[in-house]
Amino acid sequence: MITAFLAWLETSPPAEAIRTSGYLFAIIESFHVIGLVMVFGTITIVDLRLLGVASTRRPFTRVASDILKWTWLGFALAATTGSLLFITNAAVYSRNFYFRSKMVLLALSAVNMLIFNFTAARSVQRWDKDQAAPVAGRTVAVVSLVLWVTIIFCGRWIGFTTN
Amino acid sequence: MTQFAQWLSQTPVSLAIQTHAWIIPTLQSIHIVAIGVIFSSVFMIALRILGLAGSDQTLLDTFGRFGPPLSAALCITVATGAFQVMGEPARELLSFSFWLKMSLLAAATFTTVVFHSAVRRNEHHWGEVVIGRWTAKSLTILTVLVWAGIIILGRLIAYDSIWGAWSRVPKD
Repeated sequence: MITAFLAWLETSPPAEAIRTSGYLFAIIESFHVIGLVMVFGTITIVDLRLLGVASTRRPFTRVASDILKWTWLGFALAATTGSLLFITNAAVYSRNFYFRSKMVLLALSAVNMLIFNFTAARSVQRWDKDQAAPVAGRTVAVVSLVLWVTIIFCGRWIGFTTN
Repeated sequence: MTQFAQWLSQTPVSLAIQTHAWIIPTLQSIHIVAIGVIFSSVFMIALRILGLAGSDQTLLDTFGRFGPPLSAALCITVATGAFQVMGEPARELLSFSFWLKMSLLAAATFTTVVFHSAVRRNEHHWGEVVIGRWTAKSLTILTVLVWAGIIILGRLIAYDSIWGAWSRVPKD
């Protein structure tokens, strides 16, 4: 069932087009890098604000509302381009250890974000102007930074282990 | 350049990088993490100039917040980049993407430094006024696009054959 689905992805017209083109894969991969550096770079600014390391003179909500929309834009770009790269060789990627790890870590970062929304974000009015977020917010920030750096490393390792 | 790449590939540092398969992907991963810091810093300064973010901060405050991580991350990319060149001299030094990337990098760094010092010099006169000028806005958008181009060209080093005859990387 899954095998058939992966095979169907690989033989789909966009997958064929990217595979047979001499430059499409390279261009899509380049935009994947632009998307992921936007995600990582902007989320780092928010995480450092939570930790009380930088942008501390601005309220957290101000920093977050300036930045998070760009994080999501970067994520949309990375997810779209990532899917296009995936379908060109779906069976191989889906068996790759670093690809699987990366997907698990992405899911964990979603969970981490939800935890933030149900904990520190609930009381944001009380600490918005403080130097740092309460311990729940700071923990989420550290976990987020570790997850995203690891995701970048896993992503780079996929390229070295699937050729 | 071919001879230089040949010589470089025989140096002890290069040979050490070539012997350990994990070094190149590690350098590339750190390189990308640092690019994330650079691109988002450039992006936040650009959003401030365009009036799309940080409007409660002066332009100088915004440079104060994002300038230092930008410079630090730039140093990290230069260092990790230099080791990648030493590890794979022919792949980098004979590549068209690499030299185009270096040219854009020089242009982007120059623009950023000049603009930053202009803001600092004129802090009292047009630290705010500059934001309304369309030349400043278009230059800002151009700078972000140049940084995006630098990222694209960096990745294209791995696919230099797409440039056809402009690429001098030996095919293997």
